[in-house]
Amino acid sequence: MSNRRRVDPWIGLLVVLTAGPLTAGMGFMLLYSTGLIGLLANGFTLRYWARVLADGQTWISLAYSACMGAISLGASLGLAFTLQAALGARLRAGALRGLLFLPMAIPPLVAALLSVELLGNAGLVARLAHAVGWIERPEEFPTLLYTRSGVGIIFAHVTLVTPFLLLLLDRLARHESVAELEQVARTLGASRWQAWRRVRLPVLWRACAPVLSVYFLVLMGAYEVPLLVGAQYPSMISVLIQRRFSQFDLGTRPEAYALASIYACLAAGLLLALFASRAKHRVLERAE
Amino acid sequence: MMRRILAWTLCGSLLSPLILLVVLSLARHWTWPRLLPAELQARQWQDLIADASTLGPIVLRSLGIGTGVAILATALGFFSSRSVARHPRQGPLLALLHLPFAVSPVVLGVSLLYLFLRLHLAGHLAGVMLAHLIFAYAYAVILLSGFWTPKMRALEEMAVSLGAQRWQLWLEVLMPLARPLLLVCLFQAFMISWFDYALTLLIGDGQISTLTVALYQYFSSGDIRLAATCALLLLAPPLLALLMNQRLLSATVVTALEAHGG
Repeated sequence: MSNRRRVDPWIGLLVVLTAGPLTAGMGFMLLYSTGLIGLLANGFTLRYWARVLADGQTWISLAYSACMGAISLGASLGLAFTLQAALGARLRAGALRGLLFLPMAIPPLVAALLSVELLGNAGLVARLAHAVGWIERPEEFPTLLYTRSGVGIIFAHVTLVTPFLLLLLDRLARHESVAELEQVARTLGASRWQAWRRVRLPVLWRACAPVLSVYFLVLMGAYEVPLLVGAQYPSMISVLIQRRFSQFDLGTRPEAYALASIYACLAAGLLLALFASRAKHRVLERAE
Repeated sequence: MMRRILAWTLCGSLLSPLILLVVLSLARHWTWPRLLPAELQARQWQDLIADASTLGPIVLRSLGIGTGVAILATALGFFSSRSVARHPRQGPLLALLHLPFAVSPVVLGVSLLYLFLRLHLAGHLAGVMLAHLIFAYAYAVILLSGFWTPKMRALEEMAVSLGAQRWQLWLEVLMPLARPLLLVCLFQAFMISWFDYALTLLIGDGQISTLTVALYQYFSSGDIRLAATCALLLLAPPLLALLMNQRLLSATVVTALEAHGG
């Protein structure tokens, strides 16, 4: 009798449909970026990798993407925490209950288009500024789009992410009975601020941290929004990869593959580290 | 009172993108510094309808790709999710399912293009659908693994002990019970495909035009009015779903929580 366990075909399919494309894609990128395949293949070389690793733009773009992701997520989270604390049960009443789902129906491409119409020099905010007498001409309105500060990117992401986080926090607050915990803290003499800072904030933060970590990676790799409202330099990593990949000069393609390999390893490494640390936490919690 | 004002302000800001898109799609002259267009017209909509020979097939193609991806992802995801939920190494499998989202569609698209070119899938509908399926399937498995609770296992065992065949177990017990969640999954998987731009652009190799690609083209050619009109078309299915059943969209929050143990 064989001791070998039968492989579940559905798990096999899962591995083929997720790990398969990633592994195959990664393999092709490595082969292409080392000159082993592709139109310019001339045998093994680390020339393209050396060029990408020595290029300051690679690291600036990675750091810029991480900053944009962190600022967008931080601003959304701050806003969601404040609104959740201020509105409480009102989030689940009346028109607000349905309207909070509205931004989930908006794709990033449309969010970017709306940012242009709102924050552009002749956009709606600039027109309002003119109406109240702050500016006379569109040029006087501060440039918010296509700038290094990434205001347009952050604005579009905050618009898309905040309602989702607000719903998430509201659901978590009910799941973790935060209101009851706060009540206990208040009866034990905590002020309203102390109850919020020492009870609500840590409980909700701990519960939503894993979702936020994944969200950070998604925002870091965002493409459509930075493509439409981001600066030419520095550009977010997805835009830089796509730009190098689509250039007329085919010589930049192996570099694009090297860059994409670096980012794929970084993002996958971060995600796997996140899941590993969570698994470790669970084991420790069970042991306690 | 302050809370009420805050709630109404929030309602206004949530509605404003939609209002702005509608106004943009109907605006004729909206010159600086007017806060509202001087004149409204249905020209953009008429242009879109007149351009039906171009836009019609694009909408139909987007719908076709989305529907096909949604059905495949949900069907395959339903069976896979059961195996994942009961697998001793559920954690690593869930991590694997999150990888496509973490790595970003552009990186995945760029990395798969060479392979898809070799397989003659690039620039073809099947290739684009397969690329969308990677994301939609992963999402479906994450969403549906929440269905396989200990209670469901007890029901399965009860049905089998009462003599249910394997097909009867799936068709007459599990699928009717999972129907609401399967509907949610179908819709969400459709949305993943319907909203995609990067993968379609890369794997489609410029030959497969969907609504998002058309929107980007209108936008980059400077025709904001037509882009806004196109955006409203893109928003139509999720908005309809929101009006019909909020659950279809609220699943995003639930999935995020369940997948991350919240």
